[in-house]
Formats: sequence, C-alpha cells, structure tokens
Amino acid sequence: MTTNQVNSGQLAASFRDPSGFLFSRDGVLYRQVNHKYEQEYVRLMESGLYEKLVKAGLLIPHVEVDRFPVHATAEVAYKVIQPERVPFISYPYEWSFGQLKDAALATLSIQRRALKAGMSLKDASAYNIQFVHGKATLIDTLSFEMYKEGQPWVAYRQFCQHFLAPLALMALKDIRLNQLLRVYIDGVPLDLASQLLPWTTRFNFGLLTNIHLHAGAQKRYAYAGEEVRSRRGGTFGKQAMIGLIDSLDATVRKLDWKPGGTEWGNYYDITNYSDVAFEHKKQLVSEWVKQVNPALAWDLGANNGVFSRVASSNGSFVVSFDIDPAAVEQNYGQAKSEKAANLLPLLLDLTNPSPSLGWANRERDSFGLRGPANMVLALAVVHHLAISNNVPLPQLADFFAETGEWLVIEFVPKSDSQVQKLLASREDIFPNYTRAGFEEAFKKRFKIHNTVDVRESERVLYLMQGN
Amino acid sequence: MHFTPLPYLDPGSGSFLIQLLIAALLGLAVAVRASWGKIKGWFGIKPKTDEDDDESSE
Repeated sequence: MTTNQVNSGQLAASFRDPSGFLFSRDGVLYRQVNHKYEQEYVRLMESGLYEKLVKAGLLIPHVEVDRFPVHATAEVAYKVIQPERVPFISYPYEWSFGQLKDAALATLSIQRRALKAGMSLKDASAYNIQFVHGKATLIDTLSFEMYKEGQPWVAYRQFCQHFLAPLALMALKDIRLNQLLRVYIDGVPLDLASQLLPWTTRFNFGLLTNIHLHAGAQKRYAYAGEEVRSRRGGTFGKQAMIGLIDSLDATVRKLDWKPGGTEWGNYYDITNYSDVAFEHKKQLVSEWVKQVNPALAWDLGANNGVFSRVASSNGSFVVSFDIDPAAVEQNYGQAKSEKAANLLPLLLDLTNPSPSLGWANRERDSFGLRGPANMVLALAVVHHLAISNNVPLPQLADFFAETGEWLVIEFVPKSDSQVQKLLASREDIFPNYTRAGFEEAFKKRFKIHNTVDVRESERVLYLMQGN
Repeated sequence: MHFTPLPYLDPGSGSFLIQLLIAALLGLAVAVRASWGKIKGWFGIKPKTDEDDDESSE
C-alpha cells in the first residue's frame, strides 16, 4: 500500500480524532475504537441507527474483529472494526456538482436519522463521504456523538464551508470555483464565499442566512470568545435543530447546475470519426479488458465515460477521469440512473493532477499515491498531452508506466483532423510525434502486446504491459 | 475595536449565534408543521408515515 502512513501502519488522515484511528495491517484497513468512544459506539450499534444507515447505503458497513494494532493498550483500545473496503478514495475537489450535492444531502439525511436515535454528527466534513456502490456514503463510523438537547449543531459551520458555500458558488457563480476546496482544506471561508456570490443571492433565504449573515456574524463576534456561548446556551431545542437541518436541505436541493445550460443527453457529441471506427475501438477495448481482467481500471480523459462502461461491464471497478466538469456531471448523472456500482466519474486535470495535501502533506493523497491501477485506458488523449501540453513522448511513457501496469493507449497521428485543429494555432515543434517515434518511446517502458489500426481512421490502438 | 491577528480570530461564536437566529425563525415553522398532522386530523385526513425512514440519500 502506497497510501500515506505514519508509524505502526496508522493512517495520517485520521490523526485528529481522539475517538479512534485508522490503521492498516497486511493490506487490510481497520479502525480502532477507543474506550473514550465506547458509550457512543454502543448507542450507534444498539439503537438501530447503524442498521438503518447501512440499509439506506448512508454508512459504511463494518465487522468487529479481534485484531489489535501493535501499540494498542487495553486502557485505550475498546474495539477494532474492519470497515468494508472503499475501492477508490476521492476528494471533493475531484467531484462534479451533482456528486458534491449528493454528499451534502447524504450528510443531512444522516443527521436527521441520528437525531431520532438521540445522536448527532460531530463532523460534517466532505472528506468523510466517499462514493461506495455509486452512493454518497459516510465512511467515518466514529462521527456520531450523543445529542444533548439545547446544544446547537457543532458541525454547522463545517457543513456550510464544505458543502453549502462551494455548491452555491458552483451553481450561481462559476462551476470552476469547486477548485477552492483544493486550497482551503477545511472548506471555503464564508466571508470569501459571501464576497464572490452574486449580490442577488441575498434574496435567497437559505443563502442569506447560512452564508451572508453567517459570514457577517463570524466577523462581528470574532472577538467574543466563550462568553457568547455560555450566555446564550440552552436555547436551541430539538425542533430548532430539525428546522435548521430542513432549511439547509431545502437550500441545497434548490441549487442546481446543468452542463452548458442544457439537459442531459444533448450536451456531448462524442465522435468526430465514423461509427465503424467507434465500434471497432469499443470492441478492442472490450476484448483487451476481458483478456487482462483488471480489478481497478483508470480511464484517463474519459469524456462522458463510454469506454469506462465497456470496462466496468466486464466487472472491473473503473474510475472515469475527465478535465471537463460538464462531461463528469453527465457521466455521474448517467451512472446514477444506471445504478452503476463499479463506476466512479471524477474531475481531473491530467496536466496538473491532485497533489498531496493537508498536514505534512499527508492528509489527502495525490493522484499518483492512490495508484497504480491494474489497467489504464488512454483513449484519444495522447495528442492533448504531447501537442497542447508540450510533453515529450518519453516522459509520457514514464508517466503512464508509473500510473498502471497495463495500458490501452490510442495514438492519434498528426494528419488526424483533431490534431490539425490543435496545430492550427501553434508552430509544429513536434518532429518526433509520429507513429514510429511514439512506439520507440513507449517500447523503453512497455512490452507492446498488440497493435491494431482502427478501421476507417488513421488512429492506432495498443495493448501494452509495463516492463 | 482593537486589531487582533488572524490566528486568534474565532469564527465559532458567529456560527453559534447565527444558528440561534435561524433556529428562532425556523423553530416556529417546525412547530406549526409538527402540529399540522393534528390539524389535518380534525378534518379526517390521515397523517403520512414517517418519511425519513424510507427516504433515500438522493
């Protein structure tokens, strides 16, 4: 496992929580529950809340095991649980609008159910949500605390920063503002969101109160300290809490973003080449996926995921990456309606993939650390990297060799109309960008198992295996 | 108001107070909604079953 770990296999992403921590042993992920959290754990399991949440696909299922981490002592450790494996960890700055929205609604739904069981979420972090079997699912079993009537929601500010503010900015200002989450690891600061949002959002009750007035109150009472809380405590009843959750839910539901202002289906025209070529490509990908049978496949430059689906229908778990928020949104919408359990569409700029982030750069893993995949699909993407982004072919071969063991890659020659478009506005400084140059560069890192000319096109498809 | 450096600013108090404000506005709405079933009951309309138990996360 290449994921960020500190000593004893303890994972760096969970170091903040005194209730327990994640650790891995022999490649299996476990979560230690400390005695400090015993009362809460018992309530979660015995009140029926765990069962209800797991049944609704809102909480990751786990089993209790009797393995203890090397350094655990009986005074600290209460139980060790083994949560179901999440096939691929993704982060909110890699999610489409719809994914972040579903993660927000899942968080509120969990909070509502928790309140009924006398519990409350102590965190509303977007990083606690992962897509499991295609659904937004809470993966931190230790996120619940006892609900004490009169206490406001401790995770309210985090919910606004992690979910409401970025969703409002994406829907009402610019879809690309989700990238603020990559800079601000604890969510978008509300004063910044308030400044960036259009002035008219003050007429939206939910945004007026939860973002604009909230940011104003933070500024105004930034010096007040504890005295505010002690003076005003005990006035926040359960009905008020439910009212707050319902209001956040209604505010989130009203936010919407449609790619290019259109409905699904007519936004993306997939092909600039013939149906015959397209079907031939699909057939080759299908054959090679069946031949290699990868557990985890990454489709890089996946568009709306046509070829990802060819791979996922064979049983592989496929992460379907694209740089275009509209393509990812469409892909996710389709995956949802198909109830696709082993397809995860994500937003990624291959020329600047997600870095390692957070404390000591260890809290969130980079794109590379979450690999390598068993198989990488790189269809109609090489010309973008080599010509638009000026990456020399040997370095492209190095990148793909580090990213996956098997590679299905399409070479698009200079004479192709799409490449001509890329070259129209720039000098041709790519003398080695030929089929022979491509093969020479990739042969240094890969064994080429198969080379097929795609019918009715000038493109070539390769099946390669890393050396 | 004197200058306080950024690391000492506390956004928590504002978040706390704004919740109380929203709660004051919305708690009333929830109270009305909670007794709405009773009001409808007077007119012979049956209350819905617990919606949260069969809602999905979508």
